[in-house]
Amino acid sequence: MGRITLEKVRKSFGETQVIPPLDLTIEDGEFVVFVGPSGCGKSTLLRLIAGLEDVSGGEIRIDGRPATDLPPAKRGLAMVFQSYALYPHMTVRKNIAFPLKMAGMSEDEKKSRVERAADVLNLTDFLDRRPGQLSGGQRQRVAIGRAIVREPAAFLFDEPLSNLDAALRVGMRLEISELHERLKTTMIYVTHDQVEAMTMADKIVVLRKGNIEQVGSPLDLYRNPRNRFVAEFIGSPKMNIVEGAEAGRHDAHAIGIRPEHIDVGEGPWEGKVGVSEHLGSDTFFHVHETGLADVLTVRAPGEVNHRAGDKIRLSPQLDKLHRFDRDGLRIT
Amino acid sequence: MATQHSRAAARFMIAPSVVLLLAWMLIPLGMTIYFSFLRYNLLMPGANPFVGWENYSYFLTDPAFQTAIVNTLLLVGGVLVITIAGGIALAVLLDQPMWGTGIVRIMVISPFFVMPTVSALVWKNMFMNPVNGLFAYLADVIGVQPYDFLTQAPLASIIGIVSWQWLPFATLILLTAMQSLDSEQLEAAEMDGASAWSRFYHIKLPHLARAITVVVLIQTIFLLSIFAEILVTTNGGPGTASTNLTYLVYAESLLRFDVGTGSAGGVVAIILANIVAIFLMRMIGKNLDA
Amino acid sequence: MARAVTNKTKAINTAIAWTVGILIFFPILWTILTSFKSEATAIADPPVFLFFDWTLDNYTTVQERSNYFRHFMNSVVISIGSTVIGLAIAIPAAWAMAFVPGKQTKNVLMWMLSTKMLPPVGVLVPLYLLFRDWGLLDTRIGLVIVLTLINLPIIIWMLYTYFREIPNDILEAARMDGATLRSEVIYVLLPMAVPGIASTLLLNIILAWNEAFWTLNLTAANSAPLTAFIASYSSPEGLFYAKLSAASTMAIAPILIMGWFSQKQLVRGLTFGAVK
Repeated sequence: MGRITLEKVRKSFGETQVIPPLDLTIEDGEFVVFVGPSGCGKSTLLRLIAGLEDVSGGEIRIDGRPATDLPPAKRGLAMVFQSYALYPHMTVRKNIAFPLKMAGMSEDEKKSRVERAADVLNLTDFLDRRPGQLSGGQRQRVAIGRAIVREPAAFLFDEPLSNLDAALRVGMRLEISELHERLKTTMIYVTHDQVEAMTMADKIVVLRKGNIEQVGSPLDLYRNPRNRFVAEFIGSPKMNIVEGAEAGRHDAHAIGIRPEHIDVGEGPWEGKVGVSEHLGSDTFFHVHETGLADVLTVRAPGEVNHRAGDKIRLSPQLDKLHRFDRDGLRIT
Repeated sequence: MATQHSRAAARFMIAPSVVLLLAWMLIPLGMTIYFSFLRYNLLMPGANPFVGWENYSYFLTDPAFQTAIVNTLLLVGGVLVITIAGGIALAVLLDQPMWGTGIVRIMVISPFFVMPTVSALVWKNMFMNPVNGLFAYLADVIGVQPYDFLTQAPLASIIGIVSWQWLPFATLILLTAMQSLDSEQLEAAEMDGASAWSRFYHIKLPHLARAITVVVLIQTIFLLSIFAEILVTTNGGPGTASTNLTYLVYAESLLRFDVGTGSAGGVVAIILANIVAIFLMRMIGKNLDA
Repeated sequence: MARAVTNKTKAINTAIAWTVGILIFFPILWTILTSFKSEATAIADPPVFLFFDWTLDNYTTVQERSNYFRHFMNSVVISIGSTVIGLAIAIPAAWAMAFVPGKQTKNVLMWMLSTKMLPPVGVLVPLYLLFRDWGLLDTRIGLVIVLTLINLPIIIWMLYTYFREIPNDILEAARMDGATLRSEVIYVLLPMAVPGIASTLLLNIILAWNEAFWTLNLTAANSAPLTAFIASYSSPEGLFYAKLSAASTMAIAPILIMGWFSQKQLVRGLTFGAVK
């Protein structure tokens, strides 16, 4: 079981409040991603749940039991750190077995659990090496191995993939998702990368300056962002925002339209092509001199050729338009 | 990890060190300041009356004090110039590709590990002695009069001995700093057409600036307190020709047993050292934040 | 720069560097050689370098005449004693400052360092008088106390700079893994800190062994370590070059060897982490 509830949890460092009172419920078995720009308090929130920081107020419950004052070791959670935090003087085997040793588990039990974890994570051949002799991806797996052997109530991941190169990152992302499929244990995952959030989460929590901006499933956030911040943060490339007269015609202070919701060809908008990015599957155009915004990003499926300087016409899909008021809130 | 529990434990663990150092600093320092205002001579038991600034005016107007200040500055300055210049040259040399770097390095740093009394005596007797010393022999070979270093140029001789002891320190630190220079910077400069000399002057030397400052400050702290080398070579003489501030205070306190004047001298030495210390501390403090 | 260096440049560098190195090292080498000469050979004109009758007489004479071994043991006890006690006091403090830094940590560290800047001569008089009154003059205990205190800031600083390099994440990982403070220290912190503690130990033994202000001023015949004992050769015994050399060689040999092993740590320790 791993149902975690936060009630009015807040955190200040001295005078500065990093997390204003905040409520959140994480259901058992859920894969929850905390996402937001750096400095938004997502790591602090994770560390509060882990018990590595004291809360300044409020209540944390794990499976209904109050955990606010429990030390990290007693909360039954396991954490994977950004730096992996492997013990450099221990072999992989000892690293993975360390939490079991701390729990006073018998040698046989330890051995079988470590071997099972190593098998799951493809680490069997490396059990007698030290962390220093492993590649980044292998270290990452050892850190995960150390977390899963304890069979914790929930896993906490603190930007676990940010030290890996791009190709490995995609692979590990998949592995963690598969692990979640298999274990069905609650996972809380912190990242600043909205692609990771979109691809892995059951539920995304978007944070800004310690505040929860929106909670919802990836597609929910994509389709119905509550405000401009979420709208611009979720989705890649970023949503185009148009202010001024054009927005006024839609009874809004600003309108947002995603690159994939603008069709190239005929339409009311016109502009000059700047840089084109050819991905093969799609082509992104940066369109200037539209009179709407500095630059509009437009996605065209497949290979479409327009040279820099070409004039093109664009038509927004009006049913996919997002409207925002003066405070940046969505107008429904 | 800033939890209440660990905070309390941390204070408890730091306490012994703080208490000890506080006692070590405050008790003797307070006593020194207190004594410096008393007429207090160990050879004249009895009342130790309060005499105000008398000890200070006596110590500061003593001709030996002025000599000692000049000698202290010459000693510190001389050693600094020699060790920094020599240290940079040696660091550049040791940074070159060669055979047996490790052994040369060991030979160069060795003097630092020789205790001050040994190095002073070895230099005094086996090298600078005007009759049997090696220098006297060398003078003989080239046909000049042997020179009585410690009598004719006592301070310069001591500067030489102390420089030999501290040259390794400067070399080692400057070499470490030099090797920490990103080689891509040098390669970039080379691509930009900089000659070997301009690479040294425009890139390596500015990179060393910080290390040089550290060497200057740390050596100054130690050099202000040079004592053993003077004690075993010249006893501050002839006259007061090689007396520095530290030695003068020692002579007042433990040779003439004048606790009052010695303490006043001690306070003066503390003030001088503090001036240097402030700069050093500021540098190290900056580094703490980095 | 990975580029071929011509053997000629390399040979020139080598020649210059070895010449300079040997010149700098020469006084030490000469002392070691002289310690194996007879007194007459030691002052021979012209000086003899290698080809003489090697003898160990000086070493035995030095020991017989002045109970050299006792001074040697004084040095050992004082330097190791003060270092070990210093470490025992400093390890908890450095640990706490590195891993539970508070608002005042930096100030405390700087203040500790400032005590090291106090010139010894500034507190010579009171310390001498206190030691006289407490019966600590010319005792090993007295010197251990003083050397512990004067080197404590350096020990704390060195340990602090080493501990700070241990990532906090790892200690937090241990905590998440269920380690108590005790097992965190035993299984994770100490194994990772051993190299740092060892080099701190080494450097401080060297510093304490060579300390030559307090050892000269606070000891006499009884507890004099080698620094003070050698000073007694200042005259006229110093003119017996061979014996002076033998006594000196024994006094510097152990530390010279330790120093060679700790050259890397030396930089960090003596610059308080300002140069690495």
